[in-house]
Amino acid sequence: MPLINFAAREINYKIVYYGCGLCGKTTNIQYIHRTINPEARGKLVSIATEEERTLYFDFLPLTLGTVKGMQTRFHLYTVPGQSYYNASRKLVLQGVDGVIFVADSQITRLDENVESYLNLWDNLLAQGDDLAKLGFVIQMNKRDLTDVFSVEDLNELLNHTNSPVVEASAITGKGVFDTLKSVCKQVISKTG
Amino acid sequence: MARRKGLVINDRQLDRCDDLLRKLKEVSGSSFLALISASGQPITTASDEYHPETLSLASLAASSFAATRQLAKILDENEFTLLFHEGKALNLHVSQVTDQVLLIVTFGRQTQVGKVRLYTQRAMEVLRQVFEGPDDEEGPAMDSGFEADAGLAIDDLFKDL
Ligand SMILES: Nc1nc2c(ncn2[C@@H]2O[C@H](COP(=O)(O)OP(=O)(O)O)[C@@H](O)[C@H]2O)c(=O)[nH]1
Ligand SMILES: [Mg+2]
Repeated sequence: MPLINFAAREINYKIVYYGCGLCGKTTNIQYIHRTINPEARGKLVSIATEEERTLYFDFLPLTLGTVKGMQTRFHLYTVPGQSYYNASRKLVLQGVDGVIFVADSQITRLDENVESYLNLWDNLLAQGDDLAKLGFVIQMNKRDLTDVFSVEDLNELLNHTNSPVVEASAITGKGVFDTLKSVCKQVISKTG
Repeated sequence: MARRKGLVINDRQLDRCDDLLRKLKEVSGSSFLALISASGQPITTASDEYHPETLSLASLAASSFAATRQLAKILDENEFTLLFHEGKALNLHVSQVTDQVLLIVTFGRQTQVGKVRLYTQRAMEVLRQVFEGPDDEEGPAMDSGFEADAGLAIDDLFKDL
C-alpha cells in the first residue's frame, strides 16, 4: 500500500524493477532519468560496485504533479539481480506497490530468468503481500538481439499471472515508458 | 518482515508530529529532523537552514536502517534499533518509532550525542502514541476522481517519450 499523507496532501507509490543480473533493470531507470522532463524527476541514486553492478539498489523519484489536490509521486527502485543478493532484494521489496519483472529475452539466459521469477514470488509471498493489490508488468527486454526467445515462449514461462507484457529494448529506450506507464496505472487503480 | 499495510497519515497526526519535531529540535540542539516511512518515503521534516535532498535522504536512511536490522538478525541480536554515523561536521541518528515509521536526526559536532539520545528517546515514546494510538478518527477517503485524473496525468507525463 502506498504512503498516503492526507495532511500534507501527498501520495507516494513504490515501483520495483526485478529480474536476473544484467537483464537491463538499471538501463531502464537510467533511460527514464535521461529522457523524462527534468522537472518531473529527482536525483538518481545508485548503490553499485566499482564495475557498475547494482549492489543494493538504484532509486529515482518521479513526480506526477498534483492530482485532485494530492501531490503524487512514483518512487522507482531496482534490485541487485545476482542470486546471492537475496537479502538485499527482500529489503527493497518492502512496501512495494508495483513490480516490473524485466526478462532477458536471450536464449542463454533462460535459467537465470526462471530462477529470478520464482525468487520474486517467493519473496512476495514471504512478505505477506496481498498480491491482488500489486501492480505487475512483464517487460521482455533485449528484443534487439538475435538469439532470443519468442514472446509466446517467454510468456508461457514467466507469466503465470497473465499480466500485461511489453516488448522492449531498454538500451535504445524502446518500450521503457510503455512498461512504466502500464505499472503506474495499475498501482493507482489497485490501491486507490 | 514488514507487513503489507498502508500508512495513512491524517491532519491531527501530522500536526502532532510537526509540533513534536519542532520541540525536539529546540531542546536537543539538532539541525534537521525528518520522519520517514520504513519503506523510504518522507512524512515530514523540521529544519531552519539546513535542507538536504529529502527524497534521496529518506530512501537511503530507510534502506541502511533495514540493512542494519537484518545484520542484527544474522548476528542473533535483536537490539540494533538505532543507526548512528559520526562525521566531521555532522552526525546522523536514525531510530525506529514503529514498524512503519523511522526518525532521522542530524546534529553538529558541538551538540552532545547523549543529549540528543535522551531527548530523542522521550520524543519517540510520544511519537509512538501518535502512530499507534486508537484510530478513532475515520480516515479521509481518496477523492473519487483520483484514478481517472491520475491516468490523464500519467499519459501527459509520458507523452512523446
Ligand atoms: N542489446 C541490449 N543490451 C541491453 C539492453 N538493455 C540492457 N542491455 C545491456 O545489458 C547490460 C546489463 O544492463 P544493466 O541495466 O546493468 O542490468 P541490471 O543488472 O539488470 O541492472 C548492459 O551492458 C546494458 O547495456 C537491451 O535492450 N539490448
Ligand atoms: Mg543493475
